[in-house]
Amino acid sequence: METESDPYLDALLGKMKSAASPLRQVLLEIHSKVQANDAGKVADYIPELAKADPNHLGISIVSVEGRSVDVGDFDVPFTMQSVSKPFVFGLGLQDRGREEVLKRIGVQPVGEAFNSITLDEASNRPFNPMINAGAIAAVDLVEGKDLPERVSRMLTMFQRYCGHPLQVDNGVLASERATGHRNRAIAHLMRNFDMIGPRFEETLELYFLQCSILVTARDLAMMGATLANHGVNPSTGERAIDAKFVKDLLSVMYSCGMYDYAGEWGYRIGIPAKSGVGGGIVAVVPGKVGIGTYSPRLDSKGNSVRGIDICQELVNRFQLHLFDVESERPSILDQFSHR
Amino acid sequence: MGQIISVHSYRGGTGKSNLTANLAVTIARTGKRVAIVDCDLQSPGVHVIFQLVDDKIRFSLNDFLWGRCAIEQAAYDVTSVSIGAVGPEDERPRIFLVPSSFKTKEIGRVIKEGYDVALLNDGFRRLIQKLNLDVLLIDTHPGVNEETLLSITISDQVILILRPDSQDFQGIYVTLELAHRLGVSKPWLVLNKIPPGMDRNGLKHKVESSYDRSVIGMLPLNHEIVRLGSSGIFVNRFPDHPFTLEIQHIVNILLGKETI
Repeated sequence: METESDPYLDALLGKMKSAASPLRQVLLEIHSKVQANDAGKVADYIPELAKADPNHLGISIVSVEGRSVDVGDFDVPFTMQSVSKPFVFGLGLQDRGREEVLKRIGVQPVGEAFNSITLDEASNRPFNPMINAGAIAAVDLVEGKDLPERVSRMLTMFQRYCGHPLQVDNGVLASERATGHRNRAIAHLMRNFDMIGPRFEETLELYFLQCSILVTARDLAMMGATLANHGVNPSTGERAIDAKFVKDLLSVMYSCGMYDYAGEWGYRIGIPAKSGVGGGIVAVVPGKVGIGTYSPRLDSKGNSVRGIDICQELVNRFQLHLFDVESERPSILDQFSHR
Repeated sequence: MGQIISVHSYRGGTGKSNLTANLAVTIARTGKRVAIVDCDLQSPGVHVIFQLVDDKIRFSLNDFLWGRCAIEQAAYDVTSVSIGAVGPEDERPRIFLVPSSFKTKEIGRVIKEGYDVALLNDGFRRLIQKLNLDVLLIDTHPGVNEETLLSITISDQVILILRPDSQDFQGIYVTLELAHRLGVSKPWLVLNKIPPGMDRNGLKHKVESSYDRSVIGMLPLNHEIVRLGSSGIFVNRFPDHPFTLEIQHIVNILLGKETI
């Protein structure tokens, strides 16, 4: 029997195997279990975000082999918000190298809110690239001769992670721009200390834009899987980031990715992740899978309530916590196949 | 746990829906709880054989796929029309049918919008559990499409039906290769509409040696079934017909009561 490989046919057959996979049954169970938790509320600090449907709930998992299993509202688009931060940090590393980046941004978790206007007193650096100050400093490092070129380079970077071109929500972008006084203040303060360059108005525009990019839970899972797969998108085979920088992203996600819940997250769930106030969470199990969740009900710290529940369930069922060395549970990679 | 059997053909007009309906009735008569899901969303038809009419259908498979109902709400008990009177409390035999909608706008929506094919598997699993089924039969659209591929993937037994016709012979290769890639090792073959006077043994040997798969049924070209015109269940009307006896033989193999 002929068994020549073809990318289209393989993708089609993979989709069927995923539909029949044991992992799908597990995700359906988790979906219906976490749906019962209606704690938290949709972000309303900008009016556009308040329009999200609080009942939406999507889960997607993509393996390093490029197989995906998705349930619920996995294809509903929402804005990336802070989920974009580690990826733009990665682009900064790619453009300027580690040494240059670390002169301007620390990698120290901080027990303050994501939008605090504080810099490290000794170095004037923002504490880490996951708070707004550090994210603005990171996007300032993105190269390009003018704003359109920088926008294009950033969108191309995200496209490599997701495997398709991305759209921007113009309503959210206008809203971010109109209400971004605090982020402007942070940028001015960093400009004062020369932590960001003279193009900081452009940089702010880029920052508002990165927050307004539309993704789905499936996109987030693919982005996570790309990091899990040493920087190569497992579906397209395209490299999104140099392998040597993957650990930079994953370390700051692990220590600082969940706002001021990060310490608790590292202890209880124990995998690198990043959340956004749009309701998304991307989580990475290195060498295995990327996880993407979408549920816009947020807790007081700005993390998706059900997203955290989903990650906790997955980590418990498949022993995904990075420091869990026992291995009596089934491997998540074995759950993608029916036969 | 109930088993899933799906019936496929590469081309239309092979007699797939009639085979499915007659298998369902014959299996149920052995004392089983059986359901048929009509996954032919583009051109549904098996409901006609069971005389399930529009005003009895509140929900269809389409409603389940659009999230308007649970799949068991789209399952109709067709035992009395296909088996005859059984006690209202009798659990077995039973036949249920989950029809696809034959409303033009619903067919249009499926074609225009598509749907997440994985939902079908969720539905099948739930149906087996909720209706406590012994056998779930899946009738699919002819040719290769997502619902065909999904049902091949999840079935315990797969039947490919073909006529002694060069177009069918060529098409079956495609389906067999796809089944192989999906990890289904041994689909069964059923030959239908064999004209009188054809060398049946020669035909069986030729097909089995060409495809390296077993032919478990050789159904004759059948004028009575044409005359019946899908207005009833053939095995009920013609219990001693060679077609009916061959269906019985196929069922024995499917249920493991006979070996090939």
